[in-house]
Amino acid sequence: MMASHGHRRAGTFAGWDRFDYVMLGSALALVCYGILLIRSGASQEFDGPLTSFASPVMKQIVFACAGVIAMVVVSRFDYHYLTHFAWLLYAVSLLSLVALLAFGHSAYGSTRWFNVGPIQIQPSEFAKLATILLLARFFSEHGGDAKDLRTLLISLAIVGPPAFLVFIQPDLGTTMVFLATWLGIVLIAGVSRRHLLVMAAAGLALLPFVWTFAVADYQIERISVLVDPEEDPLDAGYNVIQSRIAVGSGGWFGKGLGNGEQTQLSYLKIPTKDFIFSVLGEELGFTGAMALFGLFILLLMRGIRVAQIAGDAAGQLVAVGIVVLILMQTFINVAVNVSLFPVTGIPLPFVSQGGSSLMSVFISIGVLQSIIMRHRAYRQT
Amino acid sequence: MSALGKRGPSPGGPSRTRPHSNLAILRFAVLALFAILTVQLARMQILQGDKYAQRSRENHVTQRFTLPPRGLIYDRNGEPLVANETIFHAIIVPEFLPPLPEKAAERYAIYLRLEALLDVPAFAIEAKVKEFEKAKRGYLQVPIKRYLTKEEALRLDELTAEMPGVSLLERPGRSYPAGQEFSQILGFIGDQTAEEYAVLRARGYELDESVGKAGIESFYETELRGTRGVIAAEQDAQGHLVRSIESRDPIPGTSLQLSIDAGLQRFVSDLLLTAMPDAKPENSATTAAAVVMNAKTGEIYAIVSIPSYDNNLFIRPELYPAELESLFADPRKPLLNQALTPSAPGSTFKLVTASAGLQEGTVKPTDGLCVNSTVMEVKGQNNVIYDFVDWKAHGCIDFRSAIAWSSNIFFYRVSCGILPDTVGYAPVRGLGKDSDEGAVILSYYSRLFGFGQATGIDFGGEGSVGTIPSPEWKRDVYSGPEYTENDRLWVYGDTCFMGIGQGNVSASPLQITRMTAAIANGGFLVTPHAAKAVLDADGKIIQSFQPKLTRLPLDDANLAVVREGMLRSVAEGAGALAAISGLAIAGKTGTAEFNLPSGAKAQHAWFTGFAPFDDPEVVVTVYFDLGIGGDKAAPVAGRILEYFMANVQP
Repeated sequence: MMASHGHRRAGTFAGWDRFDYVMLGSALALVCYGILLIRSGASQEFDGPLTSFASPVMKQIVFACAGVIAMVVVSRFDYHYLTHFAWLLYAVSLLSLVALLAFGHSAYGSTRWFNVGPIQIQPSEFAKLATILLLARFFSEHGGDAKDLRTLLISLAIVGPPAFLVFIQPDLGTTMVFLATWLGIVLIAGVSRRHLLVMAAAGLALLPFVWTFAVADYQIERISVLVDPEEDPLDAGYNVIQSRIAVGSGGWFGKGLGNGEQTQLSYLKIPTKDFIFSVLGEELGFTGAMALFGLFILLLMRGIRVAQIAGDAAGQLVAVGIVVLILMQTFINVAVNVSLFPVTGIPLPFVSQGGSSLMSVFISIGVLQSIIMRHRAYRQT
Repeated sequence: MSALGKRGPSPGGPSRTRPHSNLAILRFAVLALFAILTVQLARMQILQGDKYAQRSRENHVTQRFTLPPRGLIYDRNGEPLVANETIFHAIIVPEFLPPLPEKAAERYAIYLRLEALLDVPAFAIEAKVKEFEKAKRGYLQVPIKRYLTKEEALRLDELTAEMPGVSLLERPGRSYPAGQEFSQILGFIGDQTAEEYAVLRARGYELDESVGKAGIESFYETELRGTRGVIAAEQDAQGHLVRSIESRDPIPGTSLQLSIDAGLQRFVSDLLLTAMPDAKPENSATTAAAVVMNAKTGEIYAIVSIPSYDNNLFIRPELYPAELESLFADPRKPLLNQALTPSAPGSTFKLVTASAGLQEGTVKPTDGLCVNSTVMEVKGQNNVIYDFVDWKAHGCIDFRSAIAWSSNIFFYRVSCGILPDTVGYAPVRGLGKDSDEGAVILSYYSRLFGFGQATGIDFGGEGSVGTIPSPEWKRDVYSGPEYTENDRLWVYGDTCFMGIGQGNVSASPLQITRMTAAIANGGFLVTPHAAKAVLDADGKIIQSFQPKLTRLPLDDANLAVVREGMLRSVAEGAGALAAISGLAIAGKTGTAEFNLPSGAKAQHAWFTGFAPFDDPEVVVTVYFDLGIGGDKAAPVAGRILEYFMANVQP
């Protein structure tokens, strides 16, 4: 509201004509795609009427609506408010991640969310966004580049704490998303190749140490079952084998929505969340997966377009961070489903069932919209 | 909020550079990552799609088999020789036990109840379960106690509902109520070995199915097994059957009717056991065998091997480790069927020599020989004198009496002939123009009568087929470097000893029985068999086993002479103790010399014969490992024939 009333150009900016409807459209298409899959995947656990608010489909629709509203609201805000309060958002995220360790709800051997009444809040979803905002602000305040080693190291210090806090949840996948997002931002912010190589070398040197002391047994097990899931077919390898069978048996065109035996006979665990892509692979096959990839690529390219035409470095870096965030989550989630990556518990953006994820990706889209709607206002020549 | 103020007029922020060029990297990254995923997807869904589709089907379609009741086995009069009974095992599936650590107490309470119920210590159960859970095999069945008694099974069954994770496993089992006399015939069933499973798998067997391991149970496995029932169903990830796809009831196995007469089998067994001991310890038999067979068809009425064993032990082997160990350690080898085990046949083999001589025409029924001394002195090379002995100075005897009195010297004359320079005997040729040819001819006739070959009996257990020596055979056996050329050489004496069933000749009681049957029935070699017919569930015959006969190139006129000799043997000769009033029995005794492991000489006692003489119905052969044929085996054979005529319905 402040933006629209207190700002000189706020009233005049054309706003909705610069709003990226294509990006919104592809996001909504993904959500609808997800709802179809959730409906199929949830048919075993929930058999009440779809219109009931207990139905996962209905819940997802409600969250999607809330997400779209949140997106519109966020897009109306100047993203500089967000970067301005980035420190605060970042601090709150860190605090909630710490609090999570004390009070959070555990599932599948990991503590990732709070139960607030009927709603589960997953702080790491918002921590990702807060970290992106803070990194963008940091680089924009320091000349918008990362050529300077000190700047680079400070940026690493920003991403370090949240990455560490999700790592000990433990949530290896989200940790990787954090690091990838950081990498994406510093690349665009112009990191020197030499620095990057030195840091990569340091990271590699640290890897054995991390493997021995910091990587939990479950992670090693998940990685090793990825290599040979049959080694332990009913335990850690179970999900890997079942998702592999589900995806593989889908063939060119799949078995049809609601007809996948792997899905419908409950061989797939969490078929509406982390393994929703397996449902897609089984029931809609290779063509269905290509359609999904197409939508994602469209969405991400529109996101890159935002970075391309953003008015300033802060906007550009925020856009880059969000694109990398969505890209990496999508990639890791699908990679898990096609046995390219150990099981990590990362949802498929827009598609997986889950309020926190949906809200946070729509807010991210809102931020992108905010950036593109204001690119002329902040354009430097 | 100063930042806000600052941004107002100059909203461009502090950015200096906007390195657009780098965004191409990002576009590339997007496309590259999705390309990776696409390649992997194509690999899985398109290249390996069929494989995964198959996996998917296997994943969710489960087949559960219901085992059919095994066919029963009856004797010729319908007496059941086997029974089907369920075997019960107590098992635990650790996954379904109350979970640890929250419900450790409940879990232990279950172990304690099992201890009270089954007498298995609770700590032992706990240790077993832990072992499986540690190996992450908690979904498997952990055997707690195998082979429960009926009472235990009943009590456990009532209580399983209260003990999650515990269940009673039922498997089809067998019992053999008829007695140890039948063990060698029936055999037993048991768990498949890995090697057996490798073969049986192709025939649709499941690993947990029992199969016949020996005897009739093994030979007629196909008939007895039946057809498994199948329940194919779609199964969800928790193992619940969601939807039945196919259901087929098991078809019980067909039953068998044996030609064995249970009463006769028991009678013969008892008779042998009573006759084995002897006043002279060197004549006390340790093993014995008898075969009673239809002379024309090869149907076995009784086939006894002593010692026998209890085949029930093999149904629950884990319960009888000590018994089984002593069974395997027994030097008399109770698992070996003595009726199928070859040993020196002695004079019973003279029937082959007699038939061969008559058929070859080298001896006539009217030919006689005067055996005035028990020794025939044969001058060998270098003028060394060898003594060829007879058991008796028979005087002047004809061909038939030679059979009746079992004259060795007469049959030397038939087989190897009498050499020139033999004191007291005129030279005469034997079966061949020389010893080698004589042996070859005799071994040809031996093979005609089924010696040196498997009999084809339908309950197996035929190990060695026995030996019929020949010059070639001797050369082979003594081919090793430790032998000299002299050892390899077939000599005159070899043919002579072969002619009286000594030397290296060996034959099983069943082979002797076949020979006698061929002489009795006028020249047909029968294939002995113990199964008479296949019966359906109602006891109706659905298949009868036809006798298998081979016509031998022997003239019945010649065989008739042999039969007459045999008749005379029982009437007045060496087999006189076999005589039974009112029944014309023809027979031949045998007392085969052999060397004990100690080096001392001992004798096997044999008798083989048939009755009635005019229309031979039944052949009987009796064998003791130690004893004199005429004294020990002949009377037993007589009693058997007497019982047979009175009690067995052919």
